[in-house]
Amino acid sequence: MKQIEIRLSGSGGQGLILGGRLLMHTLMLAGYYVAQSQSYEPTSRGGLSRSDLVASESPVEFPLATELDMIIVLDQVAVEPSRSLIRPGGLVFSDSQRVTQPLEGEFNSFEIPFHQIAREQGNPRGANIVALGLLVELGRFATQENLQTAIEKLTPQRFRSVNSTVAQAGKQWARDLDLKS
Amino acid sequence: MKKTQVKLQAIQGNHSSALAAIDAGCRFYAGYPITPSSEVAEKMSSLLPDVDGVFIQMEDEIASMGAILGASLGGKKVMTATSGPGFSLKQEHIGFAAGAEIPCVIINVMRGGPSTGMPTRPSQGDVMQARWGTHGDHPVIVLAPDSVAEIYQQTLRAFNLAEQLRVPVVVLFDEVLGHLVESITIPEADTFERVERKWASGPEAEFQPYRDSGNGVPEMAMPGSGYRVHTTGLTHAEHGFPTQDPEIVERVTERLFNKISANYSLVESYEAEQCEKADVVIVAYGITARATRRALRKAREKGIGAGLFRPVTLWPFPQERFIEEVNPDAQILVPEMNRGQLSTEIERIAGRERVTSLPRFDGEPISPQQILEKIVEITAHG
Repeated sequence: MKQIEIRLSGSGGQGLILGGRLLMHTLMLAGYYVAQSQSYEPTSRGGLSRSDLVASESPVEFPLATELDMIIVLDQVAVEPSRSLIRPGGLVFSDSQRVTQPLEGEFNSFEIPFHQIAREQGNPRGANIVALGLLVELGRFATQENLQTAIEKLTPQRFRSVNSTVAQAGKQWARDLDLKS
Repeated sequence: MKKTQVKLQAIQGNHSSALAAIDAGCRFYAGYPITPSSEVAEKMSSLLPDVDGVFIQMEDEIASMGAILGASLGGKKVMTATSGPGFSLKQEHIGFAAGAEIPCVIINVMRGGPSTGMPTRPSQGDVMQARWGTHGDHPVIVLAPDSVAEIYQQTLRAFNLAEQLRVPVVVLFDEVLGHLVESITIPEADTFERVERKWASGPEAEFQPYRDSGNGVPEMAMPGSGYRVHTTGLTHAEHGFPTQDPEIVERVTERLFNKISANYSLVESYEAEQCEKADVVIVAYGITARATRRALRKAREKGIGAGLFRPVTLWPFPQERFIEEVNPDAQILVPEMNRGQLSTEIERIAGRERVTSLPRFDGEPISPQQILEKIVEITAHG
């Protein structure tokens, strides 16, 4: 039974919950059963925020993350709370500006300028979408077309075109990344 | 990648209960929003107007409960949703619903307690309150789903049981399940049964509002139909008027319980998996049952004979089925997100020496690993 666990984390206001919903739909379009959970702090801006996905070929057994395969960290505040949940050999992608002390351990850690890429592509608030383009490309659990369909379905019309471009930029970064296997 | 064959929708646990309520025929909702249940009210407020239903945000939880009881007496299928602090406030009216036999469904999405506790953290701390939160000997049915799909199924069933048995039914789950989004299939409307209340029939002059109509449940008089309506919280005889006659009091109180036990085959629901030959059986409900499934799989990989008994109907607890299904020599482990509430009930049934409680009450869900470690510990000493 193939199972994938992914976390999008950062601080409140970075679009992590929307990112989780988009990724859930992307995974569903690829034929997975999915469970999505999120931390739900009383504050809506700032402070830790995260969205977790557990995807499986059969209905999800335990719906919460326990051994993350991939994690996006968009803010320093989200670094420590995830440390014990990343599986050995897991992939950690930290924002190269907002995460000053990235996680180190028995996993593969990468620094990606998520916010900068989003800004350059015309959506300063699109770091979450950059992350999705990158995750889909590297995770190979779904196609970029699945992600584009999810973006079209779930994001407001006026942002669709720019979100699509931003996701493409994330994909391109993934292709240029040296994964050291 | 294997493609799933069924059409799945991404649905949140709280929304799932609202969708089921509408499909069950619920047309009146009164509530006071409270974390982590607020999405139930939010969803009902958008769904009800489209089906000519009524949604009211009341001034508090007490009034919400009163409003749904009034609407139920008026003939509507009704629901409210809340969390611990609100559930406490509703208890007086839940007792009234039990005594006056008013069908109603209460969703309780559990959060950390006591008092206002931890609004956004999960708990299973209301297990005993759901059974005995209101005073006096009273019947109540409590259903404890373990997934978004099962929240839908059990909310549907809650309405059927409430209407059929004229009893308050509580659907009890925790914050994790309430806010969890899962890909599920919502069944087609013609694939499930909707039970309607039995209304007063026969000669009007002979009608008694609390007379057993055969299965322990009295027929209900629709106000304005001509049949006599008498609704009271005082202990009452079959004709509806208050009584303190010991013989009658004992008879009518006994009927309140008998209508559940006589129809227990409708009420009962549970899952037993490899319990007969297990060395250790885990009794788990709600999100904790999901963690248990993974723990069981890993325990079996280690060669441990482990089973799962999952009460879906939490109250009245499926005691006879437990005794039938579970190996009488097995050790019993009860993980739950409280200090051991169901555990005491299992001790009563299985005997104290066989039962180990695995409590967790720090606002975090129990992990599969935590359960697995306890299974290994128990079987090593067994």
